[in-house]
Amino acid sequence: MQNAARPRNKIEVCNLTKRFGELLVLNDISFSVAEGEFVAIVGPTGCGKTTFLNTLSCLLPASSGQILIDGTPANPKRHNISYVFQEPTCLPWRTVRENVAYGMEVKGRPRKEIDERLDHILDMVGLTQCANLYPNQISASMQQRIAVSRAFAVDPDLLLMDEPYGQLDVKLRFYLEDELVNLWRKLKSTVLFITHNIEEAVYVSERILVLSNKPTRIKAEVKVDLPRPRDFMDPEFVRIREHVTDLIRWW
Amino acid sequence: MTAYREVVVRTPLALKILPIVSVATFFIAWEIVVRTGVVPDTMLAAPTTVTQLLFDKFTNMDPDGALLHQHAWVSIQEAFGGYFLALAVGLPLGLAMGWFNVAEGLARPIFEIIRPIPPVAWIPLTIFWFGIGLPGKIFIIWLGGLVPCVINAYVGVKMTNPTLIQMARTYGASDWQIFRQLCIPSALPMVFGALQIALACCWTNLVAAELLAADAGLGFMITMGRRLAMPEMVVLGMFMVGLTGAFIGVIIDRVEKRLLAGIRR
Repeated sequence: MQNAARPRNKIEVCNLTKRFGELLVLNDISFSVAEGEFVAIVGPTGCGKTTFLNTLSCLLPASSGQILIDGTPANPKRHNISYVFQEPTCLPWRTVRENVAYGMEVKGRPRKEIDERLDHILDMVGLTQCANLYPNQISASMQQRIAVSRAFAVDPDLLLMDEPYGQLDVKLRFYLEDELVNLWRKLKSTVLFITHNIEEAVYVSERILVLSNKPTRIKAEVKVDLPRPRDFMDPEFVRIREHVTDLIRWW
Repeated sequence: MTAYREVVVRTPLALKILPIVSVATFFIAWEIVVRTGVVPDTMLAAPTTVTQLLFDKFTNMDPDGALLHQHAWVSIQEAFGGYFLALAVGLPLGLAMGWFNVAEGLARPIFEIIRPIPPVAWIPLTIFWFGIGLPGKIFIIWLGGLVPCVINAYVGVKMTNPTLIQMARTYGASDWQIFRQLCIPSALPMVFGALQIALACCWTNLVAAELLAADAGLGFMITMGRRLAMPEMVVLGMFMVGLTGAFIGVIIDRVEKRLLAGIRR
């Protein structure tokens, strides 16, 4: 699966297994992600997608197996891991700008660097105008954009996204997905994007990992080699979407 | 920027006028009830009598041995001494108990043993230890204010949104960073609630402490009013206790609104 354009593997997941008591949730999962790659993960409902992300982000300890970032075991204190959650995670007592800065502040970046990066990122996502507002003064979609900006701001080794746009309407979703792809291309982060929306997965990612029902393993891997910006009416797009849909069909 | 202009909220007319009507009616009814003798003036003083005494007490030390503002000053010293000590001990303790297992494990059992004992029950021991001076009353008041401080700060920290904590963890935040950057700000609304509740507790215990062991203060003034069969002095003391408490409450409310701009609108 290595091709010439991909310099090296950034993330290596080796035999990752997670059980809750007797319940086996993640069953011996192995895969790797190249540096700067955008991988989407889709799977049937309740297949353990969130457990998968929580284990990858080290929020949950793995029962066995390991996650390597640049060849060393993943550690949130050493590596830059970002996680965009399904629900908005803005700190209500911080302004938009201070919220986006939060990840960088935790990492102890110098103030000057933080400010420069903030100016750059807020400008890219068009949040400059409301930089000094508090989260309760802006819409839910903007709150999610703050979380996305905050995640990109730390220059992540691994950016995990758990259905970040699941609660938004379709039109806004496409807009924010374009914005996400734009951020990813400019900032060259490695992204793992979980979604149950297959169209979304095909729209944003370079490769799709299809998960099976519990106990979860990787059932298939689909390359999405389409030019951007993508057109979801394009026959090739539709073919890939239907192919992935068939793969996770449980009815 | 114009698109995000602040929304001006107007107070409805009913909420502007009715409070004045209600307060005025209350005092007029009270005056009438006493003046017409429905309630004899040995049992309750009319507002006008109380007002007269109020002005008189600024210059006349009799019959209770001190001027009104002297009583008030003694009470305020005691109340605030105890109150600030309660905040200084209770808030950090409660916050720490909410986040650090060591603090919760060590302090919680003792706190739970002491908590159900009403501060007034400590008065006899306090008199043994400190006599009837300022330190003893501050101790009683401190005990009363401590409980709401600890409980509110503790609950405030426990109510921190777990997703925010997860978010901070994925960025590699340490326990101390999470405590300082997430738990304490999250607990602030509860902590400000504690400021109000603790003040009410302190003020209540102040009067109780002064009723039993004092030679000056508003509570002492109330007791003297009873001993001398002067209902107007009792009412004046009660009124001063209420007024001062309400005034401090307003100040705390102001501070709270300013500090919590982002959390509450």
